[in-house]
Amino acid sequence: MSKHRGGPGPARFRPRRTAPAGTARPKRRGPLAYWRQYLAISPFYLIFAAFSFFPVFYSLYLAFQRWDGMGTMQFVGLQQFRFLWDDPVFWLSIRNTLVIWVLSTVPTLFGALTLATLLHSVRRFKGFYRIALYVPNVTSIVAVAIFFGAVFSNNFGLVNAILGVVGISPVPWLSNPWLIKVVISLLMTWQWTGYNMIIYLAGLQAIPTSIYEAAKMDGAGPIRTFFQITIPIMRPIILFTVIISTINGLQSFSEPQVLFASNAANANLGGPGQAGLTTLLYFYQSAFLNNDYGYGAAIVWAFFVLIIILVAVNWRLTTRGRKA
Amino acid sequence: MDLSRRGFLQAAALTAAASGLTVACGGSSGSGGTKNGKNLTLWYWGGALSDKVVAEAKTHFSSEIKLTTASIGGDFKQKLTTTLAAGTSVPDITGIKGEDIASFLPNANRFLDLNDLGFKKISSQYLDWKTKLAQTEDGKQIGFPIDIGPTAMFYREDFFAKAGVDTDPAKVAALVSTWEDYFQLGVELQKKNPGTYLVNNISSVFNIAVGQGTQRFIDKDNHFIGDGDHIRAAWTTAVRPYTLGIDAKINDQTWNAAVGKNLLTELGAAWHALDIEQAAPQTKGKWRVCANPVGPANQGGSYLALPKQCRNPEEAFKIISWILSPANDARGFTDAAIFPAAPAAYAMPAMTGPDAFFGGQKVIEVFGPAAKAIKVAYEAPADAAVMAPFMTELTNIEAKGKKPDDAWKDAVSQAKQIARRQGVS
Repeated sequence: MSKHRGGPGPARFRPRRTAPAGTARPKRRGPLAYWRQYLAISPFYLIFAAFSFFPVFYSLYLAFQRWDGMGTMQFVGLQQFRFLWDDPVFWLSIRNTLVIWVLSTVPTLFGALTLATLLHSVRRFKGFYRIALYVPNVTSIVAVAIFFGAVFSNNFGLVNAILGVVGISPVPWLSNPWLIKVVISLLMTWQWTGYNMIIYLAGLQAIPTSIYEAAKMDGAGPIRTFFQITIPIMRPIILFTVIISTINGLQSFSEPQVLFASNAANANLGGPGQAGLTTLLYFYQSAFLNNDYGYGAAIVWAFFVLIIILVAVNWRLTTRGRKA
Repeated sequence: MDLSRRGFLQAAALTAAASGLTVACGGSSGSGGTKNGKNLTLWYWGGALSDKVVAEAKTHFSSEIKLTTASIGGDFKQKLTTTLAAGTSVPDITGIKGEDIASFLPNANRFLDLNDLGFKKISSQYLDWKTKLAQTEDGKQIGFPIDIGPTAMFYREDFFAKAGVDTDPAKVAALVSTWEDYFQLGVELQKKNPGTYLVNNISSVFNIAVGQGTQRFIDKDNHFIGDGDHIRAAWTTAVRPYTLGIDAKINDQTWNAAVGKNLLTELGAAWHALDIEQAAPQTKGKWRVCANPVGPANQGGSYLALPKQCRNPEEAFKIISWILSPANDARGFTDAAIFPAAPAAYAMPAMTGPDAFFGGQKVIEVFGPAAKAIKVAYEAPADAAVMAPFMTELTNIEAKGKKPDDAWKDAVSQAKQIARRQGVS
């Protein structure tokens, strides 16, 4: 029993519905009183501040400097952004990123929704299917990219070997600008379908079966049920996955980085024609390979603005018609 | 979460151990401040030095110094840059890759001048052009040469023989004394060996053709000269095999699979021999090597440097000059295909022996003279960045069939922009 705290002892144990007149309410405690709790959660915030929050704003500062990573920084104002505006490679990288994003997100989300619906109606081996479909997401992206590189290799790849058996001449998967994007998108689709499927599955399981039963009694077939019941109810979940996929898809970096690795003899990044050069890969090349940290920072900040715009557009598109 | 008490204790102990380890790593080479430290750290990457020599150095100096070595993986330059910028946990001795040395020169004040420590007295033992590349304009020496990458032409003896070409290295070298002779020979060889190609891609030709000159993309006054005649000539040379149809156009990672099958020649540095050997072990004995057309270039080759924070410069310099003494440098060639920067090593038994992969040829007879004949070209800090668009556009020619003239124009305008961005006028 603490002797020093609080009001009169017995009053604390008296059952009461309303505060008796004349008794002061217990004094509100200031935030400092909770220091133990704050201390307990502080590691995350300290690490976050040091390794995420500070670097983010430091990079904004860097975008206005010219810096080689070691020497003295030189303030150049908006010069980096002016360079960016005139830089055809930057715009090429934006185009590449958007194309790869569309080519991967659309099949990913469609595939995920279809798989989730199928899996929802499966009766046996549910756990097995879930794990099997989720595994690609936890596989090392580097290993997967190396594997894809071997499978789609122009001269000695598995895909071309199989096409050869059927009598189709080899397809230049890793040198044609469009096919490069297709291969990267395929890789991303393969990786993210299972992840989105799990989210959709959780959403599907939350829909009460009575709604489906009612639809069945009204004579709705499976396709109609899917489009008129499942999709509208799932809208908030679809919105969530669309936004997450936008953010993930636009950040594609490892896939082209591993598929088209550079080395001393070949400083070329992003594959033939720079067709696989995504914006983040270009940022990496500028900052860390060319030692142009200011320009790299300008690239990512310009790109950040673009992602925000795209997320906003996506939000509007996906929520449209909701109020109607 | 149901975590048993034992599980919790184990996890807690592991976390504590891990953080302790981190602290230990971080603290081991802090900016101690004393200039006669007993502990020195050495950073290098796998294959930069002979591991055997490094291990011996540890015991050799154990009475005065405890040498700790760390083999740093991943992007070495980036890790070193970050550490130097942060100023703590800086290694006492570090490797620097040849292609990165130019970008470290503007920040030479981050390193000790090796001339102050006695490099001047022994510098004549090392190739002059290599030493100069790690020197600032005012003569400060930041890099101690480890190895170099003199280029040569690797060729398939069996394909040559099938086409009725004399396969003796000296004779082949005479046959390919100019680029045009080399390409014409390629056309002939391809006729006799259908499905084969002379070069793997045209970027590799461009790389060597540029390296044969005395000027690169930026001159000493920091002007962009990437649109000059010397680069244009290298470009024209590089495009030739493409127009002649003797270019295999390999720009993805299928080189490994192609090298033992349908490539007639490979242009590359001495260390490239190991790449070929690993990618195509079944072709053992079928390769030979001779001087590449026109003259040698240099590709790669590294340095050791002492960052400013070095805790015991005198001892550190003693260690690196021991590790890189001609005799130990020669052992690097046997252990890890590191081609020494000290010409005295070329006469040592470790290097003069026959190489079974090259059908018993004594490859030093090709690389030794090449090493000494390499010309010095000023390499600006932004050189690698400015060169990149040329490589990209050459790839565009191969992959998309872009017209060489259009590709040249785009490459130059791109390169100019990158140069301007990096402060080159």
